[in-house]
Amino acid sequence: MRCWQAKKTNAGRPSGFGNPWLQLALSVVCVLVSELLLKRGATDTADLESAWSWTGINGLASPLVWWAIILIIASFISWLYVLRYIPLTIAFPLSRVVDILVPLSCWFFLGEFISARRWIGIGLVVIGLALVAKPIARIEERL
Amino acid sequence: MTFLSFFFIVVSLLSFVVAQLILKRAMVSIAESGFRNLRFISSVAVGIFLMTISFFLTLGLLQRFDLSYLYPFQGLSVIIITLMAAVMLKERLTLQLTIGTLLISAGIVLVSLS
Repeated sequence: MRCWQAKKTNAGRPSGFGNPWLQLALSVVCVLVSELLLKRGATDTADLESAWSWTGINGLASPLVWWAIILIIASFISWLYVLRYIPLTIAFPLSRVVDILVPLSCWFFLGEFISARRWIGIGLVVIGLALVAKPIARIEERL
Repeated sequence: MTFLSFFFIVVSLLSFVVAQLILKRAMVSIAESGFRNLRFISSVAVGIFLMTISFFLTLGLLQRFDLSYLYPFQGLSVIIITLMAAVMLKERLTLQLTIGTLLISAGIVLVSLS
């Protein structure tokens, strides 16, 4: 029974735009851009005196936050699709590649400085990602 | 960091983690029972609701703290989600996967410390 189910999932895994790995990458890119927009939008609208400010609701005054929300919804749809095909123990650690893409994009696009400690952290994440992704490469090869 | 800010960081983290687990379970159930049933729709709705709470709390936190300060907690979410997925969703957790997850979390903390 289990064997049959696994077979069905593999055979039913779409390719092209429906490829779950491509969708995972799309989801990550949307999250990356939305994080940068959110930080800008949240800073622009910060009003720490307001009683409601813990809810973050006044952030909605910034158009950047709305763009971020659209991207988050897009990434969410891709992510749901990813969840259908990839185990959470693999998909979620991989999705955190965004945590090094954020500082890297600040360095690349904004010319911000990356300290030695930060480079070491980026290196650790890359090694970790490789470890998480390795078993998948083997699974995919067998197909 | 005040007690209140710590409280909101934890609530935002937990609601995010629980939402991921609920959504994963819902998407897996499609294979057996399809989209059009109450259980699938209600799980996705609960998942979206929890993610919305987490989103607005994060926005509120971002107005107070630097992104780099809040990031280590996101690193924590990798460990929590991987563990919970293994325990609650019975996903297979190999040694390699565990080490990879720990390295990613440690890396995220290092990246945000500097």
